[in-house]
Formats: sequence, structure tokens, C-alpha cells
Amino acid sequence: MASQIHVNLSPAELAYLHASLSLTPPIRPDGRSPDQYRPLSAETGILPGTNGSARICFADGTEAIVGVKAEVEKTGRRWDDDTIFLEGGGDDEEGGDKEKGSTQQGGNKEWVELTVEIPGQRDDDSATVFLAQMLSEALLADGGFVERLKINRGWHWKLYLDILLISPPLSYPLPLLSLTTHLALLSTRLPRLKSEGDEDPFFDDDWAAAPYLYPRDKKARPPVTLLVMAVGNNIIFDPAKEELAVADVVLAVSVADVADRKGKGVEDEDMDVDGRKLKLLSIRTVDPPSRLTPPGVPNASNTAYGHASAGATQQKMPEARAVESEAVEGVWKAPRGGAKLAVMGALVQKVLQKGGVADEVLDALEAVDLS
Amino acid sequence: MASLKRSHALDPLAANISSKIYVRSTKSGKVQKIVREVYLRQDIPCSSRLCHSCPKNAPSSAAGKPIPFVLSEAPAGTSTFPQGHYLVPDTNAFLTAMDLFEQESAFYDVIVPQIVLEELRNRSLPLYNRLISLTKSEEKRFHVFFNEFRLETYVPRREGETVNDRNDRAVRKTVAWYAEHLAQTKAKKVPAVVMLSNDRENLRKAKEEGIHAFSMADYVKQLKDGDKLLDMIPEIEDRDDVKEKRLGGNLYPEYFSMSKMMTGVKNGLLHQGIFNVSPYNYLEGSIRVPAFPKALLILGRENINRSIDGDLVVVEVLPKDQWKEPSTQIIEEDAITKNENPDADDAEDVVSAKERKALQEEVKRAHSKTTEGHAQPTARVVGVIKRNWRQYVGHIDQSSVSQSAQQGRKQDTVFVIPMDKKIPKILLRTRQVAELLGKRILVTIDAWDRSSRHPVGHFVRNLGELETKQAETEALLLEYDVQYRPFPKTVLDCLPKEGHDWRVPQNLDDPGWKDREDLRHLNICSIDPIGCQDIDDALHSKPLPNGNFEVGVHIADVSHFVKPNNAMDTEASIRATSVYLVDKRIDMLPMLLGTDLCSLKPYVERYAFSVIWELTPDADIVSSKFTKSVIKSREAFSYEQAQLRVDDDSQQDDLTKSIRILMALSKKLKQKRLDAGALSLSSPEVKVQMESETSDPIDVKTKVLLDTMSLVEEFMLLANTSVARRIHEAFPQTAILRRHGAPPKTNFDELANQLKVKKGLDLSVESSRALADSLDRCVDPKESFFNTLIRIMATRCMMSAEYFCSGTQAYPEFRHYGLASEIYTHFTSPIRRYADLVAHRQLAAAIEYEPVHPSVRSRGKLEAVCKNINVRHRNAQLAGRASIAYYVGQALRGKATEEDGFVMKIFSNGFVVLVPRFGIESLIRLRDLAEMEPQAEFDAETYTLKTSGSREVTVELFQKVRVRVTDQKDETTGKRGVKMELVSTY
Repeated sequence: MASQIHVNLSPAELAYLHASLSLTPPIRPDGRSPDQYRPLSAETGILPGTNGSARICFADGTEAIVGVKAEVEKTGRRWDDDTIFLEGGGDDEEGGDKEKGSTQQGGNKEWVELTVEIPGQRDDDSATVFLAQMLSEALLADGGFVERLKINRGWHWKLYLDILLISPPLSYPLPLLSLTTHLALLSTRLPRLKSEGDEDPFFDDDWAAAPYLYPRDKKARPPVTLLVMAVGNNIIFDPAKEELAVADVVLAVSVADVADRKGKGVEDEDMDVDGRKLKLLSIRTVDPPSRLTPPGVPNASNTAYGHASAGATQQKMPEARAVESEAVEGVWKAPRGGAKLAVMGALVQKVLQKGGVADEVLDALEAVDLS
Repeated sequence: MASLKRSHALDPLAANISSKIYVRSTKSGKVQKIVREVYLRQDIPCSSRLCHSCPKNAPSSAAGKPIPFVLSEAPAGTSTFPQGHYLVPDTNAFLTAMDLFEQESAFYDVIVPQIVLEELRNRSLPLYNRLISLTKSEEKRFHVFFNEFRLETYVPRREGETVNDRNDRAVRKTVAWYAEHLAQTKAKKVPAVVMLSNDRENLRKAKEEGIHAFSMADYVKQLKDGDKLLDMIPEIEDRDDVKEKRLGGNLYPEYFSMSKMMTGVKNGLLHQGIFNVSPYNYLEGSIRVPAFPKALLILGRENINRSIDGDLVVVEVLPKDQWKEPSTQIIEEDAITKNENPDADDAEDVVSAKERKALQEEVKRAHSKTTEGHAQPTARVVGVIKRNWRQYVGHIDQSSVSQSAQQGRKQDTVFVIPMDKKIPKILLRTRQVAELLGKRILVTIDAWDRSSRHPVGHFVRNLGELETKQAETEALLLEYDVQYRPFPKTVLDCLPKEGHDWRVPQNLDDPGWKDREDLRHLNICSIDPIGCQDIDDALHSKPLPNGNFEVGVHIADVSHFVKPNNAMDTEASIRATSVYLVDKRIDMLPMLLGTDLCSLKPYVERYAFSVIWELTPDADIVSSKFTKSVIKSREAFSYEQAQLRVDDDSQQDDLTKSIRILMALSKKLKQKRLDAGALSLSSPEVKVQMESETSDPIDVKTKVLLDTMSLVEEFMLLANTSVARRIHEAFPQTAILRRHGAPPKTNFDELANQLKVKKGLDLSVESSRALADSLDRCVDPKESFFNTLIRIMATRCMMSAEYFCSGTQAYPEFRHYGLASEIYTHFTSPIRRYADLVAHRQLAAAIEYEPVHPSVRSRGKLEAVCKNINVRHRNAQLAGRASIAYYVGQALRGKATEEDGFVMKIFSNGFVVLVPRFGIESLIRLRDLAEMEPQAEFDAETYTLKTSGSREVTVELFQKVRVRVTDQKDETTGKRGVKMELVSTY
């Protein structure tokens, strides 16, 4: 799916951009280093009526707001499951695992409802739907997130995430929306449960006592989706729209910190205190806009340079001609084919690496004051 | 990026805005985060007359008048605060000792922080209403201070602080602010501001913060005459100490947590219902739950688990091996636990040895039966959803008073035996044992701990000497929750200004005549009991040229005087009904209306609401008409006078003729009703004759039925049915109607079986018609009263009729079983029943006499009204009966008569005899039969009790017996009651 951002660059400009991004080290139009994010400012708790909310502004003026609302919902049971839980708690250990298995396949995906709104676009626009799909995929990829929404065997929280881009989409908004969603989830709090076991839930009325969905003193953090592109062998993070226009490959990579996820092995405890345990949740290729850019015409076949011999058939079908023409140094030609395996490997490594980009982004968001 | 959050640094008014954030769980199970902005102000006045600064910027009322300041400039002092003081009680003080605040001797100048008022409303609505009426009374000088909106006294909730702690802190803050604020007035004598609380933690914190604070007890001790008030204070609340101290000695199982109960109820494993105690056995309760057609039994103290009659409880069904039969034994608390010592806390077991013995006998009996089918499901109480505790009237159990306590004034623990046998004994700590002995007293229950065998309560009021008319009447009224205080001024203000001089306007253009028909020319008369002052209804009839008859029923037009939603209407809707005691009437409406302006007195013009039919000579309705009217009653007859007049052939005037027509028609109406299956039921009705001067009861007479009574009744029924149809047609969703549910067949099981076994009679209960017919067949040729007896017993198997709002039931459910009418309402007694008043308003709206008032159209409101009327109505009936019973007892005082009686109920150790002459029933125990308690053999199959040994008699159900009726005062309990002794059997 193409990210429909129209960049008005000539083939020559595209070729120039592509060339400078292919250098080692690449030279980006805004002078950032390949793994540097655009500066952003963020705040949380802007919507008092929500369970959690956040707002992020990128320096280029794009801005997003995310609100999270939670509702208590009854967990649907299978028709043949007529077990009634009255005495709670005690037998959780034995029953728990089986239950987990069934509910995860059951209705867990429905526990999160995510809507994306982008100004100037219909909400059923394929690009918007795709964005929403990618963002919810990150949340639902491993059952870890929905697991948190479980209250007891009969009840769960249903989360409504409303993601709003409030500026025109100047660049592909995925990273912005994902970061804002991450921040909103970080600041999300759910009322404190007072009942025990499988009783009907009953909550503390003190909002101040409501625990965070992602407790601050624990390591785990909500997933975040990073937009990464490759030009040649160079891997560039958080591409601007001009950069996207010449990308060979664009990938959306979702990672989450699963440091203290239960049942994921005891070795976590050996990790040093500051350590994260990043887990790759999903990779999706995004159809780069570069594919739709018009190709440059090499001098060899340019009639302006006297090579009129090119057949009339070719004149009529410029696309066909471009496809057929050989790559010529310095002449722009839309990229073809998928990502190279080596590039993918390097990319994943770069994301998950300690002190890597994901780490850096998570650290930055961590520092936002949650109030 | 500029922040979107409200920045508090820049806004100069930021300090005035705060917000409250909390989690709200709704009934439907939603959990919401609620954010409320709070706008704080500084112009909320302190309302002290000492203050000079507040009046300057205090807001004025909607009418633009300044609101008067309440708190006195020279409040009363105490021994600690001779300069005078203002009181600031916390919620807990009101919850536990509201009675104190209503005292006239003390508790003036009270500041009620808004938060306390709100908290009180959430905890107890009745107490809240009492506090509101206190704040409205001018002499008590209670001021509600809106602490939550005054900038200086607002406190935001701290992290991890419970709501209670925060509210307590808000109260302390209010106290501190008042102290500071008053100090600025520079008055000569600045009153101290004193916090009252019974919460130890709150008191401790107040001491830390340097605020004057006292526990109720400590405060009351400083008052003059404080000793007397001291008894009205419950024990100081101690959150942790008590529990730890008694951890070992818990007698009762712990209650489930609320959420556990709710889950269980939802899943159908636990059941919720109202706990009822058997009137014959205080250790046996029953609970009706929606899941089962029959009530579940709850047996024994442990299973009853501290619930008291009327509580809304959750029960768990016990395993089948613990199912039992309902007991056939009479177990009375006074008898079994007579010698318990209230001081001793030796209660290792909830069940005392004697109780246990009684239970063993039960079990033995249950086991001796082979028929297992008799065992009924039993249940145990696992939690209480809502306590329905009220104030109870009782007296101190003399045997529980230690010798020393009778003289000294040291605190002593005694038992109070409530008048209501279903309520357990209440432990009372008091210093005035000597004074209270032999008095009727009012107590409330404070708590019932797991570690205490009996509930603990405190003293509220002394009603007076036992068996004095005044004390006993008041006791009755309190016990049945009858509002008997005089009407407040706000209500009296709603009366017409002309008072008794009010007349129907002579000028026909007067607005009062609008849409009113002039029926002054008709020969209308009223027929009522002797001495009736509140005449609700009057009648007329006249032959029409076509051979039919015009019949009119004219009802007092109360809705003309009582407008919806004014103070009088509210008061009437709370009272719901007038209560008739033997020597006293507690009116629903003020006297002026009830006995004069509304009452359809003879010879004067009155407003009325008329129902006029055209009836054929066979009493079929040709047409009916409803109209507001003006009438002039020609005569007010008593039933007897009217009867004489009808029977006297020499009387040929129009009025008498008119009554004769009515009489003839009424007989046809009645026959039709009976043909349709209307029941004629019975309850023993007696009339107490009073000596006119002293109004001491001198004799008891059973009521005589006259044809004229049934005349009036028939036409009232006809009017009610007609009106019910009309208002239901106009307001299908909100008409106020009265229904009488068909009783479940199982209700009659017992009676049908008894009749079959003892008399070989069949009772068929398929329909009211079948029941009516089979009741007619229940005749004992030798005993004319037998039929009445069966009717009385059948009546007790019925459901009670109830008011309801038509939208809440399906049309077939509207049926009035007893009257065999499809639809029914009450319309004919608006002076003494609130339901009739509502029906009047609805009918007036239905005939487009007046616009529909929202209050008669709102279903929720009407449902609440119906619920209240149903309760009050029942209470009024019970109070009336209890009053008769008391007076019958008094009339018999010192006399011994021998009377015929009938055995109504039989137990393995006694039986109940009904004496029709006095309309009383009483228990005769085996041990009453002879000096030595005779041995007895009880055959439950044939309802026969055969005694042997010291006295040999055989008593059967329905048997006619000769009893000696005397009055008797039980020395240990101080109760006077009717005592029956068996003289002989027939």
C-alpha cells in the first residue's frame, strides 16, 4: 500500500537525493544522522476525561493526539463452557493456562478498538485503514498486550484508542501516530480492582489509586512502530517525506519491551537493571511512494539530444520504455523489487540492538512526565 | 509546542478552580472516570451574626433579598467553653446520635458542613431528611456551610487517602477556618468552634491540629443535665481495637464480601430477599426469593446470622441433609433466654444450651417421620445487603437488671425486649436503669458484631409508664412508623386563607366554577359510621323517564385544595393514609380540610368530583359521566339511621325513596359481583366501646353488618371500577390502580389439607369463583361461626392487595382477585388515602378539566408513591388492629369471662385459640394447662394434640373450646396481655 504523499520533485532531484542517501555515510537533506529521529515535543494527560492521553508534535509541524478510554466488559464464553466461578482465586494456577489459550484465540482481538482519523481523508480510505491495521497489529501481535486487559476469568477491559492526526499529513504519519499511541498507553491508568478472584469486578473509587496499565516500576512498555527505509545498503530511520520519495524499501517495524513478561524464561532476571528486552513483534513492508515517481530519461534516449530514432511505439508508451531501459548512472528510475535479505537482517539488528534506535526512542518517551 | 493543559501558573484565577477526579461504578456495571471542575468562591458566608465581613459580599436569594444569618451572636456555653460555642459534627456523629441533635435542651448553633450532609444522604436517607428538617427549623439554628465551594475550606484528596479520611479532613478544615474567621470579628466573646465526632482517629488528628474536638460522650458530659443525654450515645467507634480484642470469640460466621454476594446472586447460586421471622418461633425465619415458588426456611441463630426481620439479605441454600420441616413448636425468646445475663460475655457459643435443647426436640420429631417429602429446603444467611433497622419500642427486661443498678447511676448493661416479637433482644448500656424500669422506651440498634450474641443499641427516648394510654398509643404509632407529629407550618401555609370561613363562591363566573357542574338541586345524602367527620362520599339517585335510573356518587374534591408538589401534597404523600386508632385519628390532611372544607357536610355547598351513571333496573351501566361539581348534601346519615329510614314504610320523602332505589340497585350489583366470583372474606372485627368522659374502654362488641353498609360499599366499588377504566384509558402507562394478585395455590395447601383431614371438606382454589363457592360449602351445621372461621383463615392465605402504576404490569395482572374485577382503583376516599388523590388528579386530567401535571404522568415518581402507600397502608392497618387489641386487653382488665373459642392453629406444645366475641387470638401452651406440664402427643397428620398425665384433654384443629379470658401481666417482661385458659372442650 502506497503512502500517498505527493512530492513534487523532478526526476533529476530524485536522482540527486537518491545518490546522496546512498553515500557512506549517507547525507540526509535535513542533516540528520541515519538513525536520528526528528525532534519532537510531547505531553500527556491533555484529555482529563480519558484513562490516558498524549499529544506529540514533530518539528515539521505534524501533530497527533491519542485518547484511551477503557470500559469493563464481560468476557464471552463458549457455549459449552458453563463453569460458574464462585470461589475465586485458589485454583487459578491450574485453570489459568488452559483458559489463557482459549481466550486468546477467542475474542482477544476485540478487546482493543482502534480508530485513526486523518484530516481530509475518509475514515474508510484504504490508507487510513491500513494505518489503523498496522498500529493495532503491533498491539495484538503477541498476546502480551491484551493479557494486561484481563480482569478475571469473567471480565476484561475493553480499550478504545482514538488516534487523531490534527495537522495535515505532511509526511507519512505512521511514526508519529505510533509514538503518540505509545505515550498515551504509557499514561493509561485503569481503576484499581477491589474484588478478588472471579467475582464480578468492583473498583476503588479513588482515581489517584488507579494503577498504570504499564506500571512505572516494571520494565515492560507498550509496543512502538518505527518507520525505517533503506536506500542501497544504507538504513535510514524516521524518513522525511522527501527521503521516502526515493526509498528502495520502506518497512514498519514494531517492537516492544517485554522485559518482565511472565513465562518468557527465567534468564531475564540475569539482565542488568537498566536492560530492556526488546522483542520484534512485526515487520511490514510499506509500498514506498518512490514507485510512483516518474523516471528520468537518459540522454541517450532523449530526443532533445537528437536521438529521434526511438520508435513511435516507444513514444506512445513511456512507461514501457522506462521499464525496459537500462539503469543509467545519475538518471532517476523508480526502484523495483523487494528488500534484500541482508538489508533486512541489518535493519532488524539495528532496531533491536542495545542502545539502538528503539532504545533511544523508548528512553525519550520514558522521560515524558506522565501527569 | 504550547501545552494544551490549563496552566495554573499564568491564570490569576487559577486558585479558584480545582478538579475532582474519581471513579464511578454505575449500576449497569460501567466503570467511568469522572472529572469535575470545582469553582471555588470566597463569598460563601459563615452565617454567624457576629461576623461583619461576610454580610457585605454574601450572595442574596433568588428574590434579591439577603439571606438571614443563622448562628447566634451569643451561643450557649458549656463548662469548658463558658464564652459560648458553635458545634461542627461530622457524619458519624449524625449517623449514630441524630436523636441528640433533636433534643430541645441542647445542641443549638450547629454548623453542618456540606460534605457531612452529602455523606449522610448517601448513608441514610431517613437521617438526612431529619437533618434537613432541623436545618429548616428556625429555633435550632442549624446552618449548612458549603465548605466544598469555599476557597479556604476546600481540600483536595491526597494520594492514597480514602474518601472518608478526606471528608474528615474537610470537616476539620472547616472547624479551623471558622475558628480563625470568628477570631477576626473581634467580638468581645468569640465563641469556640467545636468538632463532634465519635471516630477516634478523627479526634486524634483534630487534637494534633489544635482544634477543639470532643467525642459525643465527652461533650455531653460538659452540658448541664448531660447525664440523661449520655444514654443516647452509642459506644465510641474504634476501628481496630475491638476486632483484635475479641478475635477469638466470634460467634457468628463472617459475611461474604459484597462483590462475592452480587456475583453469586447473578449466577443464581445465592439468593437475595427480605428476611422474615416467624411470629411463633423467633429462631425460624423465612425468605421469599424469586428463584423458588416457596419460601426458604432459615433455622437457628447461626443460620440467621445476625439478620433482623425486614433486612435485605443474601442466603445460600443448605445441603439436602440439613433440610427441615418448619417447626410445630412455639419458641418465644423471652421464655427460652429469660435468665441470660447481659453482662457476662461468656457466650462461647451462639446457641445457648436451652436453645440447643429446643432444637434437638425439633430434630427428633423430624426424624421420627418417615415421609421425607415434608422436609423443606433450608438456607443460611451469608450477608446483608441492606439493614432495615429502625427505632424499636420496647421495655427493659427486669430480670436482666442487677440489684445494684437499680439504685446507683453507674452504667449498666441490660436487655431491652422489643414490643415486636420478631425483633431479638437488644443489649443496652444505660445509667438510668432505675428510671427506665417499667417504662416504654424507644431504642435503636447500632451494630451487631460477630462477637456479640445480641445486637447492641442505645436509648433514644422515654415514652412513659407502661400501660398508660399515652405511652402505649405513641408506642404503637412509632412501632408502625406512623407520622403523628403535628403538621409543620409550611403545610398549614398551603391551606386556604379563609380558613373555616371558606365558602363555595356564589358568583358563577368565579374561576372555581370553571367547568364545574351545578348539582346543588339533587337530593344528595351521605351515609357513614356514627360520628364520622371526614365525609368522603355522598350519593343520590333518581328515576329517569325511560325507566332507568340516574345514580351519582359524589366524592370530596380534595384535589382542588391540595395542589401537586406543594408542601401539603408532599406531606400527604409521605403519610399516605389516615390512621384510625380506637381513640385517636392521625389525619393525612390537616383538620381544616379533612373535617370541614373537603368533607361533604350536610346543608352546605361543597366542591365534589362526581361520577354519574345511567343504570338499568337490572343495574347494568348504560352510560357513565365524570365531572367536577358543586353539591349540597341534604343529610348526613349514620348507617343505622339510614337503615331505620329505609325500613320505615311511613317515610315517603324523596330522600328516602332515593335511598331505597340505591338499596335495590346495590343488591343487584352485589349479586352480579358474587356471580363473577367475588369473595366475601372475613376478619374478626370488633368495636371497643368507650366511656364518653374518660374514654376508658368499657366493653367490646363485634360489629353488626347492615344493608346500608353494603349499599355504600357497592356504589363505591362501582365508582372505583368506572374511574379505573377511565384513567387507564387516558393514561395506559401511568394510571394509578389497585390490584389483588391471585394467591399461589400452595398458600392454601395447609388449609385445604386441614379441612380435608378434619372436616372432609374440599377447598378448590382454581379461581376466585371456585374458592368463593367452596368457601360457601364450608359449613358446619352445628356451628355457624365455623364458616367465618374458615373465611378468616382463608383471608390470611391471600396476597395483600397493592397499588401499582399501570405501566408496570400487563393488563391481565391488573385483576383484583378478591373483588373479581378486571381493573380497580381507589377513588372514593381522597381525604384519607393519598392514592385516591392521585386518581382524582388523573381523572381530572383525563376529562380535560385541568392540564396533566407532570407528577401524575411520571412513571418513576408514581412507582415510588405506590411503594410508599403500600407500606403505609399496611402499617396503618396493623396499627389499627394493634390498637384494638390493646384496648380489648384494657377492657378486660381485672375481669375474667368465660367465652367460646375456636382452635385455629396447633403446635406440639400448644395451640392458638380465637375468641370471636373479642376478635382476639391467643396462645395456650401445654404448661398453661396444669401446674405440672402434662405430657403430650402430637399427631401432625390429624392435627390432634393429646395430653396425658397431670391433665388429660384432646385438642383438635377447628374445635370449639370454652376458655377463660383474663388479662395477665407477665412479671418478668412487664407486658400485659390477654391470657386464655382452657376450661373445657366441647
